[in-house]
Order: sequence, then C-alpha cells, then structure tokens
Amino acid sequence: MTAITPTTLSATSLSPRTRAVTEFVLDNLVWFILATVLTVFSLTIPQFFQIGIFSNIIEQSAVLGVMSIGLSLLIIAGHLDLSVESVAALSAMVVAMLFANSGAGLKYVLTPEWLVFPVSLAIALAVGAVIGATNAFFVVRLKMNAFIVTLASFIWVRGLVQKLPDGRSAQGLPDALRFLAIERYNVLYIPLIAWIAILCFVVFAFILKRTPFGRHLTLIGGNKIASFRAGIATDRIITVSFILAGAIAGLAGWLLAIRTSGATANLGTGMLFQAFAAVVIGGVSLQGGVGRLSGVFAGVLLLSSIHTAINLMSLPASYTQIILGLLVLAAVLLDTLKLSIRQRLT
Amino acid sequence: MRLLRSLIAAGAVAALTMSAGSALAESKGKIYYMVPTLLDEFQTESVHALEKFMKDVGYELVTLNADSKTDVQQSQMNDTIILKPKAIILAANDFEALKPSVEKARAAGIPVMIFDRQITSTMSDLTSVAGTVEIGYIAATEIQRLLKEKKGAVKGKVLQVLGDPGDSYTLDIQKGFEEKMKAFPDVTIISKPAMAWEASNAGTIVADQMLANPDIDLIFVHAAHLAVAAVASLEAKGKKPGDVMLVSSNGAPVGLDLIRKGWENVEVEQPLYAQAAALAMFADKVVNKQEIKPGKYSVLGLDSELAIEKWGPNIKIPGAAITKANIDQPKFWGNMKAPTDAVKSVE
Repeated sequence: MTAITPTTLSATSLSPRTRAVTEFVLDNLVWFILATVLTVFSLTIPQFFQIGIFSNIIEQSAVLGVMSIGLSLLIIAGHLDLSVESVAALSAMVVAMLFANSGAGLKYVLTPEWLVFPVSLAIALAVGAVIGATNAFFVVRLKMNAFIVTLASFIWVRGLVQKLPDGRSAQGLPDALRFLAIERYNVLYIPLIAWIAILCFVVFAFILKRTPFGRHLTLIGGNKIASFRAGIATDRIITVSFILAGAIAGLAGWLLAIRTSGATANLGTGMLFQAFAAVVIGGVSLQGGVGRLSGVFAGVLLLSSIHTAINLMSLPASYTQIILGLLVLAAVLLDTLKLSIRQRLT
Repeated sequence: MRLLRSLIAAGAVAALTMSAGSALAESKGKIYYMVPTLLDEFQTESVHALEKFMKDVGYELVTLNADSKTDVQQSQMNDTIILKPKAIILAANDFEALKPSVEKARAAGIPVMIFDRQITSTMSDLTSVAGTVEIGYIAATEIQRLLKEKKGAVKGKVLQVLGDPGDSYTLDIQKGFEEKMKAFPDVTIISKPAMAWEASNAGTIVADQMLANPDIDLIFVHAAHLAVAAVASLEAKGKKPGDVMLVSSNGAPVGLDLIRKGWENVEVEQPLYAQAAALAMFADKVVNKQEIKPGKYSVLGLDSELAIEKWGPNIKIPGAAITKANIDQPKFWGNMKAPTDAVKSVE
C-alpha cells in the first residue's frame, strides 16, 4: 500500500490529465462542497429536497450575494470594507422612507408609477457610492487605515439609519418595486431579485477576469508597489473599488428593502459577518490578490443552504452560528491546503 | 440712551424670569432612563412618552441607549450611579444580569423604577408593566379563538417566530404563550428565533416553513416589524390576506397597518403610554421614598392594579388585543396619538 504524501504529489509524478483535473477540483472546491452538502441535506432532512426549497436558498442568497460582490472586490484589491452592512441598511431606509406608504414612509408617488423603479434604484446606488467615496477619500487621500475608516463608517452610518426615521420603521413599498420579490419566472421558480443577484455575479466576474480594471485590481491586491511601478494607477483603481463596493452595497440595500417591503432600523444586522464568511469560504484570500466571484457565489449559496437546513430541522438557532464559525475555519484550512497542493503542482 | 437702558433692563428681567422658570422646571432633578435599544418603535416611542410625562411632573429625563447589549447597560448603570440622579428607570436587556446593578443603585440610595421588562428576582421601587408573560397569555387566548373560528376546534399548526433568542423579553412571551397552549395538544407549535430581531431573518423562516409545513394555519410573531417581513414572504409565495392567520405583539404602527390591510388578525398591545405615565404619576413618591399604597388607579383612563409584590410595588396596566373591531381607539400607541393632557403626581 502506498500512502499519498506531498512528495508523491509532485508535478512530475502527475499526468497532464490528472493535473488538469486536480487544478479544476482545487479551483471549484467550494462548488463540490456545496454539492455534497446539498446532497447530504436532501437525503437526511425531511422536506428539504424540493424545488421550492432550492428556490428559497437562491432567493435568500440574493442580498447577501450582492453585498459579498463589493466586499470581494475590495478584499481582492488588498483592502476591506466593514461598512457594507450599514450602507445597505441606509440605502434601504432612504428608499423605504421616500416611497413606503406606512410608518416613517413619506409616500412619494411618481407618475407614471414605474418610475419608482429606476429612481429608487438610482437613489440607493447614489447613497452607497457617496459613502464609498467618503471611505476612499480617507483611505486613499489621507492614507488612513481602511479597517478603521470603514469601521467608523459602519458605526456612523448605522446611527444615521436609526436617526433618519427617529427609530421608526418605514413599511409598504409600492407594487412597482415589490413585483421584484413576488414575480417568479422559469422552472426553478426563482424571483426576480435573485436573477438580479445572479446577473451582478456574471457582470462583475466578467469585469474582474476580462477587463483591464479587474486584472489591475487583482495585481494591486497581490503587490501594490509592483503594480504602481508597472504604471498602474493604483490610487484611482482603489478609489473606484471603494465607490463600487459602496454602490453595490446600496444595491443590496435596495433589494433588501424590496424583499422585506420596507426597512427597520436594525435591517441587515449581522450581514457583514456573513458576507465575510461567504467571501472567505468562496476562496478569496484576505491577503488580497486572489479570488474569484464564482467561488463567492458558491460560498453564499452554501451559507443559505445551511440556514435553510437549520430552519427545517429542530435545531436551536445558536447551531447556525457554531456551524458557520466551523465552516469559515474549515474554509481557511482548505485554502491553506489548496495553496500547499498548488505549490507542489508547479 | 434711555431706550437702550430700558431694553437692557427688560432683557435682564426676561433672562432672569426665563432662568428662574427653567430652574423651577428642573428643580426636581434628573431621572435616567436605560432604554435597551432604539432599534424598534416601541422603545423609541417610550423615550418620547417618558420625556413628556416626566416633564409634566417636573423631572428632566436623560436617556441612555444600551444598543441591545447587556454589558453596555451594566456599564451605563455603574456610570449613572456615580452621577447620583434622582432615580433610574430601567428597561433591562437581561433581567438576571441587571439584578446586581439594581441592587447597587438602591444601595447607593438611588431609587430604581422598572419599565416594561419586569425584574422579579430583586427589590425595586416601582415596576410598571403590561407583563411579558401576560402578552403571551393574551396571544394564546386570541390564537385559541382564531383556530376555533377557522377549524371548529382549537387545533392546527402554529409557527411561532421569536425575536433574538438571547433576549429575555421574547423568551417570556414564549413562556406565557406555550403555558396557555399546553391544554390543547392538537395544536402543533413550531418555534424559530429571528436572530437579532432582524426582519429578513423572520422573512426567511416564514418562507422556509411555509414550504416544509404548508399546512401552517397561523403565524405568531413576537414583534410587529417581524410581521411585516412575514407578510412579505407570504406575499412572495402567492398568498393573499387571510390565507394564513397572523398574530403579532407589541402594538407598533406597522402591525396596526397590517390589520387594516387584512393581513393580520390580532396585535397584542403593550399599553406603552399608560406604562410610562404610571411611572411619572408615582415619580415623586419614589424619589422621596414615600410609601406607595396598593389599590386601583386610573392611568390615562385605564383601570390599573397596584400591588405590593415581593419585588416591590408593581403596577400592572392591562394589555389588549387589537383587532379590526377596535383598531381606531386612540389609546393604542400604534395609532401614534400621544396623550396631550398633563400627568399629575399621585398625592
């Protein structure tokens, strides 16, 4: 019997085909984990294996998924943004306050009614972009630490969410917005908000992989000084990344408001850590320079699957936290293992 | 010159009068209100109500927000004790964890009044509650009625969506509700907590459970803002108002709105204004450490019972079930018609 040791897994000992398969598995490890988890849940949890549940998982992934995109971009660029959760909540609150018809809602009605769709979306994106630009100013111009700057934004923006409606909630968004959460198309019965999230993943995965901006972003995250010396406008790209992350968080907030038909002062609480978990599970390195959005999408789906499974089982909610914590730890361990296997492949 | 002198003199008199007036208004001193969070409408409105009623009886209210964190509230209690206010009003994040803080304040000679969230494990100077366990009782009674009306007997499946599982408030409601439902074994109760009282978590629970248990007859959520997300999920599943019965608690404006739209059947009201007014009515007696007599008192027109319990004087304001039939009564705080008449101290 031959034991498989790191030395036996050297590049020379592998055929090109085995090597390609190994590379493929490593690149898509989180998708394999997701498939395994879904299979296990389907076999062991009563009522889990049905289209409606899978549709729920995708729907529940929409907001977290969109939020994770912006966070991933910044982490890949070698920074981070702790404010995305509060930014999403603020965008949701601003949209809800303007257009909701009860609570703190100001009941603005646009004519024709469908105008509320682009106008509210533009407002949500603008709110996010402004906060993203503020973060960028402190980080890029004043050379302050991104962790501290965005932590401060996380706190003051949440304060604003609380203060604007004076602690009240704004509920009852118009049908011209709510249809996104209600209408479902195709065989999977997936609501439109989930399709928006999927579209965002496709677009930003393309931007990250196929455009100079995306490639520069990854290079900056890998080595900022080398990128600067290579003539890449590092400051400009990081500034744009912060603004993008803010605007994407604004989009997440817009979707969140539509999904819950309004906003409360504590809307989205806890999503930041879930977004971080999804990003890490999805294989984005916290060191920067490494990561793919397809992995992040799988990470988000994995988290939502676990949440749904726990909802369907008679497990106390605290188990969710324990499982998520262990999962993040496992993801980091796997990442280390992947790195070590890759080094031996090359 | 004479005109200028007259103006200065008039200004000085006005300033003196104003400062004397303000000194008079503040002469009774400050009372600190430890609000557990400002992230829900009940708590926000409680600040407004207490500010107004305490001002009516001559006290200035200072509010400290614990942001749902027990340790923050403990620190706030410690800091406030050093400031030696006339009294502290506490709506505890965690009933047991705040017990030593209550004892410390009282040992320092600062009276402690308990608002809304009853602490029965130690002495306090006055407690004003509708009763969290009692909210569960009222909800159970209403749910029994609704199930009987729909199914001819008290039977069926109920999804109970709690708030954060670390909050004693929601656990007490659950306790009261399940205690009263024990007598009906044909009712299956599925209980799930919405972490951090966050609306989308409640929405997700409802979406998942409606698939796993499509025969759910009724959803009972522990706060009105969670009911909104529950309704959003029902709507997304193609349900219409009335398809699944809905009961919520705390009486927030959004809950009343859902009743008006036909989505919700019952909202269990916490009599916020009366609970706050009761503290103001007895504030002088509490601050001056005078005896509070048990008996019946009318608090904003609600007949309330004050009893001397083992944890001190306890005034219980009756909660109410809000339905379509009585929803427009201004006494319900969810209608946001705060009383304008001044509260008077009990002699």
